[in-house]
Amino acid sequence: MLNATDQMQVTTLFLVDDHPMVQDGLTACLSYYQDIDIIGTTQDGKDAINQALSLKPDVILMDISMPSMNGIDATEIITEQLTNTKVIIFSMHDSLEFVSSAMQAGASGYILKDTGSAEVYLAIKAVVSGKTHFSPSIEKALIDNPLKEEKEKLTTREQVILAYIAQGQSNKAVAKILNISFRTVEAHRRNIKAKLQLDSLAELIRYAVNHGLIDS
Amino acid sequence: MILPLRLFYITVLQVILTSIVIYFFVTSEYRELSNHNLQALETFLIKQKKQELQNYTSLASASIKHLYPKAEPENEEKKQAIEKLLNELLYNGDDGYFFAYDGQGINIAHPKEPQRVGASWWHLESDKGEKIIQRLIHNAKAGGGFLHYQWRKPSNQQESSKMSYSTYLKQWQWMLGTGVYLDDVNQQLAVLQQKIDQHINKTKQIILTIALSSIFIIFIFGLAINLSHKKKADKKINELGQKIIDLQEEQHRHVSRELHDGIVQILVSIKYSIEATAIFLMQSNQEKPKPLTDAEKNLNVAIQEVRRISHHLHPRVLDELGLSAAIASLANEFSKQTKIRISLNKPKLSKLLPADINTSLYRVVQESLINIEKHAQASHIAIDLSIENKRLTLKITDNGIGFNRNIKNKSSVPEESIGIGLRNLTERIEYHCGQLKVVTSKKGTSIIAIIPSHVFAYYFNESAQQGDYLDTERDKTLLQDT
Repeated sequence: MLNATDQMQVTTLFLVDDHPMVQDGLTACLSYYQDIDIIGTTQDGKDAINQALSLKPDVILMDISMPSMNGIDATEIITEQLTNTKVIIFSMHDSLEFVSSAMQAGASGYILKDTGSAEVYLAIKAVVSGKTHFSPSIEKALIDNPLKEEKEKLTTREQVILAYIAQGQSNKAVAKILNISFRTVEAHRRNIKAKLQLDSLAELIRYAVNHGLIDS
Repeated sequence: MILPLRLFYITVLQVILTSIVIYFFVTSEYRELSNHNLQALETFLIKQKKQELQNYTSLASASIKHLYPKAEPENEEKKQAIEKLLNELLYNGDDGYFFAYDGQGINIAHPKEPQRVGASWWHLESDKGEKIIQRLIHNAKAGGGFLHYQWRKPSNQQESSKMSYSTYLKQWQWMLGTGVYLDDVNQQLAVLQQKIDQHINKTKQIILTIALSSIFIIFIFGLAINLSHKKKADKKINELGQKIIDLQEEQHRHVSRELHDGIVQILVSIKYSIEATAIFLMQSNQEKPKPLTDAEKNLNVAIQEVRRISHHLHPRVLDELGLSAAIASLANEFSKQTKIRISLNKPKLSKLLPADINTSLYRVVQESLINIEKHAQASHIAIDLSIENKRLTLKITDNGIGFNRNIKNKSSVPEESIGIGLRNLTERIEYHCGQLKVVTSKKGTSIIAIIPSHVFAYYFNESAQQGDYLDTERDKTLLQDT
């Protein structure tokens, strides 16, 4: 596996982990795989978004617990912007809640940090080819408790947008504030309405106030 | 608590002592003054009576004067005329009359007791052995005088004290007298005395009422002060307790984070170093040494162990994904361990709560699940977390036996039967301006925590605006591919 294969295609990888020692360890391991090219690293969720948008890596290995923004929220923003980038959550958290949140945020895989570099390599290859990949122990847990797609639960991004809309911001204004396209905001807004089963702006505002999301 | 109570006793004692002193002082003063007045009145009345008697006597004397100067002592006719006159000379109804005796005590005239006429009453004695007629004659001979004695009162035929004035008709050697019964004076005085007693009684009642109401007011006042003090003290203690708990939770969270994000990450990096070493050895066609395999294995154990401790101290899922996810995770673990089914209802929004409320509600679920496992013999638990009508409601319902079998009706459980754990949780929820209710019956128990949304409102919004969930500094030129 360490040799260049016939149809060798280099996968660009971006590492997001707030612990440099882990990054170093993983880099050391992955450096033996020639079809993996680590094009950047960062230790911070927000910086990960900025760098990912400029580097446009094939795969991002994303930690969850990080200082400024957690990896799941960063994943959501990155996958919202970069449709061709796959995100694999790379974390010590083995609770299925994390797995389901990560998948809802748009992650393609979820592997545990203690599973070994071979596993990481397999996951990268799997998500690049369009499949999802989980660590064996998570896969096992998912057999017992299959991921229920939480269709109605709002993601963090959607909640943020709902808060802005309820405060009276137009789609255009929200797009400007969040530096995203008008169409993305529109899509989010449609999703929010569908999830909450609400039609009008007034209903959205009332919902947000009743739930303590915004100032009344 | 002790000092105000002591003060209260001292104050009450003071009131009682003051009241007693005032009572004795006022009543004795009043009594003395009234007695003084009574005596003066009595003297005045007696004096008036005396004057009256003298007047009557002089009137009677005057009325017989036309007979008197020319009368010879033995003139029977005139004697009888005088007697007749005296018999008709009445005043004050039945009780005012004149009597006449000669010098030897033989009755000449007595309008009310005519049977006495003609007989000698020289030796008539009062109960005290006083020779009444002799004294009257003696007084009369001395130029007129007053005598007090007991005599039957004509109007009611009862022995009454009488004061008589007698004067002497020298020519006939007669004693002419009249008297008043003093019982009406005494009665008047007695009525006054009674009034005085009534007054004193009234004074006593007033003082007693004032004293009692003062004590009552002091008592109420003291009670109110004590209660408010106690309330304040309780509130402070509760707040302090909650602060300690907050601090403890914060410490747990900190240590948990240090372990998970620090130690575990270091261990993981060591694991990768070992792995890199193994790959390196493999590349140079060397066997992986056993100690390296052992190290890897032990490292895994260490990682699991540290993670277990970290999770036990504080579940990281609570900080990263919010309360719903943390409860879901907890419920999952619990079901796996106990085989008790849990159904969970979560709100559509998340991350609305600040860390302290998050932790408190998480502990409510944790404690409730522990209680259910230990005591409830339940087979199913429903956890419902919802935000509606501006309040967050967390409800944990089991289908167990309830935790006090003595209570038959479905009713709120008295506080003492709630475990210390639950009471702590109640205090904790109340600290967040919420309330914790426990409803238990034979069919199961519900624990309901309610937190008004104003406590956590805007938390999400504020943290969003602080940039926790947003990134507004990003360069717009980077966003081309959507």
